[in-house]
Amino acid sequence: MNNRLKILRAERDWSQQHLADALGVSRQSVNAIETGRFDPSLPLAFRIADIFELPIEAIFLRD
Amino acid sequence: MSRTNKNPAYRRYMWRGAAVSAAYVASVFLATLVVPDGAKTAPLYLVVAMLPGIFIGLWVWVMARLLIELDDEYLRFVEVQKALIATGVTLAWTGAWGLAELFLPDLPKVPIFFVFPAWCLALCIGQIIVHLRSGDAGGAP
Repeated sequence: MNNRLKILRAERDWSQQHLADALGVSRQSVNAIETGRFDPSLPLAFRIADIFELPIEAIFLRD
Repeated sequence: MSRTNKNPAYRRYMWRGAAVSAAYVASVFLATLVVPDGAKTAPLYLVVAMLPGIFIGLWVWVMARLLIELDDEYLRFVEVQKALIATGVTLAWTGAWGLAELFLPDLPKVPIFFVFPAWCLALCIGQIIVHLRSGDAGGAP
């Protein structure tokens, strides 16, 4: 699954650590999701969507 | 400090692991002191000789608790990957060596209690493989 996490984070000038703290996960988790090595669970995907104030489908894209 | 290092599940894992390891070493020393060389099986000797096995079981519980208590799903995924690699390596090695012992009587016999330390060693191999594959998961102990 592709995602726009890195772009959205860059637009807000957030570091991976900043986003990780906001989500309550490790920086490694944010890095793994951004690079497509790990697909988040639905609850975590909803938390990400809430933080960016966007619908999930605006962040996560089909392959 | 990253969240990986300050995750309470890892802190509990380290403390529990250290306590169980110390108890395991103490129980091995106790068995060495109490059970004489070449002793015949007696109830007391059997209990003392089996005591370290209890702490091996507790180590398995410590590792299971880590997987249960880790609230970060990616770190849990990494730990599960490491455990799967360790299990695969250990099963392959013990299976292959056991068959080789069967066919080659001159081959040194590996005592069965080495299986658990071998699994722990294989966990380190799992850590290296996962780290090399991800390039960013090495923070987990």
